[in-house]
Amino acid sequence: MAVVADAGTLYGLLAVGAGLATGLAGIGAGVGEQGIGAAVVGVVAEEPGFLGKGLFLMLLPETLIIFGLAVSLILMFAWTPFAGIVTP
Amino acid sequence: MRLLHIVNYNGNQPEFEIGKSIGKSKEYSEDLIKLRSITRYLDLKNKAPDKTFPESQILSEMDNLLNNVGADVIATYERITAIEAEVKSKQDTIRSLTPLAVLPLPLESYHGYDSLATFVGTVASPVDADVARVSPVNEIYTGSAKNATQVAVFVPAEKASEVSAVLSEHGFSETSVPKLEGNVDSAIASLEGSIKSLEAEKTPLLKKLADIKKQNEDLMLATDEYLSMQTQKTEAPLRFAVTENAFVIDGYVPSDQFSRLKSELEGAAGGKLEVSLIADKEAQELVEKGEDIPSQMDNPGVVKPYELITRLFAIPEYKEFDPSLLIFVFFPIMFGMILGDVGYGIMILLILLGLKKKFRTPGWQQLINVVMIGGVWAVIFGIFYGEIFGPLGLWNYAIGMLSHHEMVALQEAGLFFGEGVFGSLGRLGPLGVFPLYRLATNAVLLLIGVSLFIGVVHCSVGSICGIKTELNYGEKKHAYFERLPVMLFQVFFSIALLGLVMGQSILTYLGIIVVVISVVMLVMGPEGPMGLAHVPSYISNLISYLRLLAIGLASVGLAYAANQLAFYVIMPMLSGGAHNSAEFSTLAIIVGIVILVAVHFINLLLGILSPFMHPLRLHYVEMFTKFYSAHGGGVEYSPFGHVRRFLKA
Repeated sequence: MAVVADAGTLYGLLAVGAGLATGLAGIGAGVGEQGIGAAVVGVVAEEPGFLGKGLFLMLLPETLIIFGLAVSLILMFAWTPFAGIVTP
Repeated sequence: MRLLHIVNYNGNQPEFEIGKSIGKSKEYSEDLIKLRSITRYLDLKNKAPDKTFPESQILSEMDNLLNNVGADVIATYERITAIEAEVKSKQDTIRSLTPLAVLPLPLESYHGYDSLATFVGTVASPVDADVARVSPVNEIYTGSAKNATQVAVFVPAEKASEVSAVLSEHGFSETSVPKLEGNVDSAIASLEGSIKSLEAEKTPLLKKLADIKKQNEDLMLATDEYLSMQTQKTEAPLRFAVTENAFVIDGYVPSDQFSRLKSELEGAAGGKLEVSLIADKEAQELVEKGEDIPSQMDNPGVVKPYELITRLFAIPEYKEFDPSLLIFVFFPIMFGMILGDVGYGIMILLILLGLKKKFRTPGWQQLINVVMIGGVWAVIFGIFYGEIFGPLGLWNYAIGMLSHHEMVALQEAGLFFGEGVFGSLGRLGPLGVFPLYRLATNAVLLLIGVSLFIGVVHCSVGSICGIKTELNYGEKKHAYFERLPVMLFQVFFSIALLGLVMGQSILTYLGIIVVVISVVMLVMGPEGPMGLAHVPSYISNLISYLRLLAIGLASVGLAYAANQLAFYVIMPMLSGGAHNSAEFSTLAIIVGIVILVAVHFINLLLGILSPFMHPLRLHYVEMFTKFYSAHGGGVEYSPFGHVRRFLKA
């Protein structure tokens, strides 16, 4: 069976992939932060001096979404096999 | 004098005992508790002093303040609470009376029977027939309220349990009947009347409290300060070690202040006091034992606000590096790079200037200063990015853009970084790069590079601090085989990447060789092969700096969307398809401006929050871990004494 795909379709699929990369990474980061956030709020209520360290723990999973974004950026802008397809 | 950081004596040496408080410490602390309870009733918050008082005035007015004014406040406050409780109970009564209004019975007829059982409440379906079945002798009153049927059932006492069972089949839920007399409506009316008169009594009382608060605010805070000072002073001996005839105070003092402390203390005690330093060797031992030696952060005035960020994480230990200066260098640049908008930057500066006058406590002032310096950088980066309230913003609309053929030429040369606000006024930079249009592909790629570059510099500086800290603690192995390889790895990993991007294979090979060497060093280090487990995190540390670009893109995107929506969708649509700004109708312009203001306001709020949080994270997670992790968590130097704010010296 022959797969017919023109440049536009490929570019569209690329965009969908990029969107999924960032979006799913965002969900992952959110799930990760959910538990930490609740725990940190609990600790800070008892011991306000813990705020800095709590913030630190809370922001750890944030890196995940940046990974997703990095993949998206590579897909959209920097991956040479597809860069030729992208029509400005 | 505020010089000596006193160390509490813990009483573990048999020849010394813990001292006893001196003088009137008990009275002072009792007075203080009394005063604190009064200020709590008045809801008095600490604030910047409007005027200061001499101690003699405090002494002469304290008695009156604590006893007469205080008693007045407490009595008034208690009366208000009593009124509030009474009003509440009356409201509850009204609430339970209201459903009874549908029944034709006076209130006294619900109570006071010996041989009759009374059921009052709501039911889901009519009960007359079923009740008559179990108890032929009965009296039933029914009335329909808004969404339920209210019944009052009177039956002989001996039938009570059977009737109750029947009623519960009909979904009976009991209403409690207050013990009152007369008609329901008139009872409610009289209750409402008394609530009104209670409220009327409450208003002047509240006003009286407010008046007392206004009159005595400063005096009370000054008295609080005086009493806290006295309690601290009289209770200080609790922290000393004493024998029958002498006492010892342990403490720390900044080295350069020691001679001052010595001369002043010995002068004050008239030769009865001996002040001496412990021997250097002993001091060295204390450091090595991990004694909590207090540390004082000592930074020039401009860096001071950034101590707040350091303190939020941990106070640096005695021998650790105080990162406030580094935060001062990097934090505002990162803030500016993310926000990067002249309009938002100026808005932030204006808002914060207003807030600065309102929030006068030192903590808030520091926080505001931190964000304000970031705001200045946001303006600077805004000029580089060519953004005033987003690309295609207001100014752009007024000044115009690059001409079309210029844009095409730039695109063909691969140098299109978007049209900036300067438009026909021209571009800056070696390649005509600035102003940079952040949403253009080339600009994104350029900013990825810049972000990673900042990341490498930031992490390297962190690693260098780590090496220095380990050397301070005399741990050479940790310094050269744990901290140094991390830096080598990160720097040369990015050099290898740079070689790949630029097509310079020699850079790539050099980078890979040093990366391998650094990994080998890690394995030789104190952690051994376990050190390899950290390698992926060194790469993710660097990738994490992409947020400098990413968060900025998100905020630009929102600003861009707002401008597009207003200028190119809403305004033309509402003026019947006109594309020229001169043809827009008044309605279109008004609606467009409302949308612009709303979206830009939301974006501005996000634009203060995320450029603050994310560089904060970059410092805490990516940088501080490079030198704080092994030790960290010092004690802040807090010298004995009190700052006079409300009291005249």
